[in-house]
Amino acid sequence: MAVEETTTTTASSGLGSGGAVDRIAQREAQLARRRRMMNVIQGQGLVIVFVIVFVTMWISSPYFFNVNNLATAASTVSILGVMAVAETMVIIAGEIDVSIGSVMALTSVLIGMIVGWGVNPWIASLIAALCAAGVGLVNGTLVVFFRLNSLVVTLGMYSIALGIAYVLSNSSTVIVDGSGFGQLGSGYIWKIPIQVFVFLGVWAVGYAVLRLTALGRHIYAVGNNYDAARRAGVRADLLRIGLFVMTALGAALAGIIVTSELSSAAPQVGDPYLLAVVTAAILGGASLSGGRGTLVGTLIAVAILGVLQNGFALLSMSVYTQYMVIGVLLILAVLTDQFAQRAER
Amino acid sequence: MSAAAAAPAASGDVVLAARGISHFYGTVAALQDVNIEVRRGEVVGLVGDNGAGKSTLLKILCGALRPTDGSLYVDSEPVSFHSPRESRDKGIEVVYQDLALATELSVAENIFLGRELRRHGVMGRMRVLDRAEMAKRSAEALGKLGIGISDVKARTGLLSGGERQAVAVARAVTWGQKVLLLDEPTAALAVVEQRKIEELVRQVKQQNVGVIIVSHNLRQVSELCDRVHVLLHGRIAGVLPREQASAELHPPELLPDA
Repeated sequence: MAVEETTTTTASSGLGSGGAVDRIAQREAQLARRRRMMNVIQGQGLVIVFVIVFVTMWISSPYFFNVNNLATAASTVSILGVMAVAETMVIIAGEIDVSIGSVMALTSVLIGMIVGWGVNPWIASLIAALCAAGVGLVNGTLVVFFRLNSLVVTLGMYSIALGIAYVLSNSSTVIVDGSGFGQLGSGYIWKIPIQVFVFLGVWAVGYAVLRLTALGRHIYAVGNNYDAARRAGVRADLLRIGLFVMTALGAALAGIIVTSELSSAAPQVGDPYLLAVVTAAILGGASLSGGRGTLVGTLIAVAILGVLQNGFALLSMSVYTQYMVIGVLLILAVLTDQFAQRAER
Repeated sequence: MSAAAAAPAASGDVVLAARGISHFYGTVAALQDVNIEVRRGEVVGLVGDNGAGKSTLLKILCGALRPTDGSLYVDSEPVSFHSPRESRDKGIEVVYQDLALATELSVAENIFLGRELRRHGVMGRMRVLDRAEMAKRSAEALGKLGIGISDVKARTGLLSGGERQAVAVARAVTWGQKVLLLDEPTAALAVVEQRKIEELVRQVKQQNVGVIIVSHNLRQVSELCDRVHVLLHGRIAGVLPREQASAELHPPELLPDA
């Protein structure tokens, strides 16, 4: 609208009468106010939702607010959190990776298989992670060099990796133990599960990369305006391939933790995470159109999901009610993002 | 930054030249045997109808497109660009019609995109972004050009159209040591903002940078440019010197605001 008015001014007088210029200035100021307001809503809305969910659970269940329960809740969402960090970064770069749930399962199955050959579980984990990285490399290469849609490519890869996981494992569960491997998933340090530390470590590294490095700025720039980033000399394609490898490694780490926690490898371990990871990233403010999102948002979103999951279990409420609440939150998050973007056009 | 680099060379030297440029999209000739050159401290206009080949020529000059035939020279040295990155390294900057700004990044981050400044961070080893220095230098660059953007840390998406345009021009001016290519730099801007951008172009000219400007705005072209190349169906139909351009492109009876 501002553009239309501008053109009219130019055409009518060539110099712009005072009144028209004032109108444009007013309109610009109004738009700027709206942009800032949407910015605040997007930034603070999530915190408010978290507080509401947390307080509601606290009031509703006497078992909710104690250290042991909160530690359990944190440990439940840590695996989700590790993958959500990687997913958020890919989404900020304007792509999406929905194959992580099955890459996680494939990692778990591979660990079981390699351990079955008599290999130390830690070394088996390393080898499995390298295989997962290979899957990420294939995803990234297909998306970048053949200009394929990342949702479709990774959906296909989801199916392929899951199929491989089931074929390799013969749909059976393998015991994985020894060399203190179980500690990673079920050990504690000062009453806090080790996997919570792993999640926080991954989160901190991700946060530092996004906030403090040029690479982080490039991730935002590539997602926000791919052509502009390329013209500015950013190695946009290499960066996108790298991010797909990174999400696959995030999924591998999640697979290693879950295998350790269960002391067993199974192809079903990734099932609950297919949509939960994308949900966490988008709920946290990462925009599917790219260029937007923060890991602070993702952290709060993961916390919201953790509290909901835990609270609903304590209140013996159906898991389906939880699905509905998460669905509503997700749509609200996307709506807010849409309004914020519209305000900037 | 640009002034320092341009200082050793004398004003008036040909800094960028294109000779015998032809370009075909399939069998369609977008450009045929086009010659154009720009000297230091000179503003060259490029006008023509839609589809005359202006944008194609600009893309070839900045390395976004490789010509089917013909050669480019920077400071009389033959060059061949495979990407905009290579032309940038030679001191050629472009302000694209779409501005090529990342609206989610701040003004300073846009100005330094792809050329971020880093400092020693944690434990003196890890190299982290030097936001303070980038903000300081961006504010200086904008200040020098008389662009009144108070907060260089503000997201570019929060700026008005004119301010965004000014940021794109400021970025190009900051890094364009030899040549500045402007594609419709004031389209969709109010007159007041147009004047500001034109003033920027004059400043750049004074800093001994060569400027090629594509514009539909004949008043602007006749006021700003030392020479005007007219493109017609992919060929240079004529080159008008400043005086002639003013008279022919800007007849006083048609545009009384001169």
